[in-house]
Amino acid sequence: MVRDMTEDPFETVVAAHHAEIHRYLVRATSGPGDADDLSQETFVRAYKAYRTLPPDANVRAWLFAIATNLCRNHFRSEGRRRLAMAAAAAGASERGPSWPEGEAIANQQSARIDLIVAALPFKQRLAFTLRKVHELDYEAIGKSLECSGESARAHVFQALRKIRRGLDDLDVVHTERQP
Amino acid sequence: MSPENLTCREIEPDLVAVAAGEAGTSAARGVERHVAVCRGCRDELARYRVLEGMVADLRRAPMAGADPTLARAELESRLVDIRSRMVAYGIFPSPLGKLLIARSELGVSMVRYIDSERAARSYLARLAGDEAMEDKSAVEATYRELLDYLGARSTRLGWPLDLRWAGSDFQRRVLAATAQLPYGAITSYAGIARRIGEPASVRAVAQALRHNPIPIAIPCHRVIGSSGDLTGYAGSRIGLKEQLLSLEGVPVGLRAHRIDRDNMYVLYEGYTEYCLPTCGTLSQEPMSQLTLFGSRRHAEAVGFTPCSSCRPDLHPLTV
Repeated sequence: MVRDMTEDPFETVVAAHHAEIHRYLVRATSGPGDADDLSQETFVRAYKAYRTLPPDANVRAWLFAIATNLCRNHFRSEGRRRLAMAAAAAGASERGPSWPEGEAIANQQSARIDLIVAALPFKQRLAFTLRKVHELDYEAIGKSLECSGESARAHVFQALRKIRRGLDDLDVVHTERQP
Repeated sequence: MSPENLTCREIEPDLVAVAAGEAGTSAARGVERHVAVCRGCRDELARYRVLEGMVADLRRAPMAGADPTLARAELESRLVDIRSRMVAYGIFPSPLGKLLIARSELGVSMVRYIDSERAARSYLARLAGDEAMEDKSAVEATYRELLDYLGARSTRLGWPLDLRWAGSDFQRRVLAATAQLPYGAITSYAGIARRIGEPASVRAVAQALRHNPIPIAIPCHRVIGSSGDLTGYAGSRIGLKEQLLSLEGVPVGLRAHRIDRDNMYVLYEGYTEYCLPTCGTLSQEPMSQLTLFGSRRHAEAVGFTPCSSCRPDLHPLTV
């Protein structure tokens, strides 16, 4: 079964999902530069395979799986991964205590969570983002991460625990540095 | 470690699940019973609930550096470029054996006689990389038209052609001149060389046609040696050349793989009247100046008229 590209053009897929996949990749890679490249690559690959995607497939989950796979390749070199994590940690200590006053609290909290998320191990970071930000089900997350739905769930819970503790630590840093 | 601590540690995953609204009934009851008596875990559950709220904000809050506009614009232009380079192909049976047919947005880019599907796929992969994708439905209509043509139900393949796999400008000119040969007409390699203004490049013309990426549609089977020899076709498939010419009403000497120009109507270069082969001094003219037709019908179908002196209409050839 093959898709009719005239009735179901790929442009609608780009319009519907590019912004979200890009957002996912900013979190997944800890930086917008890589997200620009990887989001383009995700859709280029998707375009090439789109014709043969079964008509009843979940296009959104499929795009997340492609994006996740590209992230995995991206981080395959351990050195690259360490660099990214070091950058995220440096960002946390530089930016953590000096957020501008008056910024919306919700944004501040989101940014703090993002800093902690950026430093999580790969699978936890991606599982957390896929579940909590993009609300994919555990089966789809498992497929993306090449593990069972149950393991995907465990990764999300691990991430939540770490974020919970990470927020406590940040609060400590924050209060200790106040005069 | 006290038994109580152990219970607290064990219950933590369920606390997380309850806060996320994902706990099953029994886990939820367990948590309810536990937090009723354990203050630490009650606080912990409250914190996880707060965290869930904060996490929900992540879905709405703007992200620094997450503007996808530029990436989207670059993507769109890459897709336009890729789309123009993509070719869809299929492998089909035909009266001439298995054929690979490929086409792009621009037109048909390849017709290839194949023995092994695997070899054909890897050939295409070497040529086009991941820009070639198998998609029979995209070339199905092209295939049907080709079957009509090979079954003598049509005499024209009105396909737009994509000459991406022509190797050089010279080859493009040779292919373009060959594409002008009408149905049922033949000329020589030297004739094509003359038409492109390179009368000395007969061998190069033969080479260019040997690597014709779109045989049948670009009818290199209508080009033969000056002596009347069919010479070659698609490697060692000279039988297919005979089949195609016979289909077009060209009398082929099956054993000798040659064409006898005495059995064909003749059109002299630049003329619009076709003649019997014995008209005037035509039989002494070199093949390169001539176009030969196996049947009057095909000569007249493209607008040529019978010669008013030799009158092929009154004295048709009997083949």
